[in-house]
Amino acid sequence: MRNPVLLHKTASQVQQELEACIGCNECLLACPALDEPLTIDVLNRETFGGPISAPVARFARSCYQCGACVPPCPVGLHRDAMMMWLKIRLYRSGEED
Amino acid sequence: MPASRSSSPYDYASDREWAGTRGYPLFFMYIKPRNLLRVALGLLIIVAGLAFCIWYSRNGSDPTPDSLVGLIYAVLGTVFLLLAGLLYSLHRRSRKSKKVIGGLRSALGWHMFFGLTGLALIFYHSFGNFNPRSGTYALYGLIALVISGIIGRSLDRIMPRLIAKEASKALTQEGEDRIEAISQQLQAIVEHNMQRVRGLTPSPASASPAISAAPERGGSAGRGRTLHGPWDLAYLTLEETPQELSRYEQSYRLVPDRKSPLSRPGALLPGAQEQMAALQAVEHAMRREQFYRYVIRYWRIFHILLALVTAGLVIWHLEYAASLVIPTLFH
Repeated sequence: MRNPVLLHKTASQVQQELEACIGCNECLLACPALDEPLTIDVLNRETFGGPISAPVARFARSCYQCGACVPPCPVGLHRDAMMMWLKIRLYRSGEED
Repeated sequence: MPASRSSSPYDYASDREWAGTRGYPLFFMYIKPRNLLRVALGLLIIVAGLAFCIWYSRNGSDPTPDSLVGLIYAVLGTVFLLLAGLLYSLHRRSRKSKKVIGGLRSALGWHMFFGLTGLALIFYHSFGNFNPRSGTYALYGLIALVISGIIGRSLDRIMPRLIAKEASKALTQEGEDRIEAISQQLQAIVEHNMQRVRGLTPSPASASPAISAAPERGGSAGRGRTLHGPWDLAYLTLEETPQELSRYEQSYRLVPDRKSPLSRPGALLPGAQEQMAALQAVEHAMRREQFYRYVIRYWRIFHILLALVTAGLVIWHLEYAASLVIPTLFH
């Protein structure tokens, strides 16, 4: 069993991972939290910056950081860390309100 | 959405299309029509099963767990629980099933559906008879398992939100590492204060005449220089030795007055205490984040272990029930 680690990454690390994503959708196919059709390019576009659409926000809130998305990634990226960044953005937007 | 709107990570549009995309509430629920259908089907099975159980208990000829009705409840409940246990696990491990986005989420929904309805059916199977020890333990195991599942599902909702809150504390507004930012600020404060302290030491021009005159008098006997002694080793010079020179040198040590604000601890490091406190706060936040991650992970392991224990108890009860039912069937 893998050891739990602090998964939150900095914005620059998240951006690097987003740039390295090849858009194969494997992480989304392995996700037990995603309940509606969502494409990886939309998710990637909205993860780092800009407005967050309702489906992406719902997905970000539903993600429970199980890590099922990490092993299928062919380039070894951490989608859970990217989702955490999205969660942080949502959390901060709520704090601003 | 036009990309031009995304000027900063916290820039959100106010269009109706994008409404409801701000904030991260602690409790939230998204129910889709197909999920509603599943909930309705589950409630129908539970309510219909309960209604029949009550009716049969009052009007039936043999309202016992080993009666025909009781056994039908038992078989249905066992099948439902088997489906709950196997469907999701197989779905998750199957490569083919992963090819549909949302397929695993649907399997998780059915896992909960079969778990809850299966428990209800097994409960009706007992008809309020809790005398057989094996059956009672199996029922208790199932109740604990379902409760642990419900708690786990709640933790899956609450813990990531708490993790996001703690991770937010560990990152700057721009999303960079706060510890690194604080360390840099501390370093800047220390350097600034070192410059201030250095500023208090006298410059060579303002040193005492004794010191400034010393090299002239001592010739080459200044600090850091080698003594060029005369050829006669028995010759004793009357000039000051380096030790004597350092004795004359005035040392500037800041001793602030008791009433001076400089006498307070940390006065020479303005802002350092705040930075240290912020550093500790970030460390605590990271520790809490790790704890929440442990809770999510180990609750899932606990649920699986509980499922294995319950499966053992159910097998024990089935073996006991078979020893009672099979002879009855053959005679």
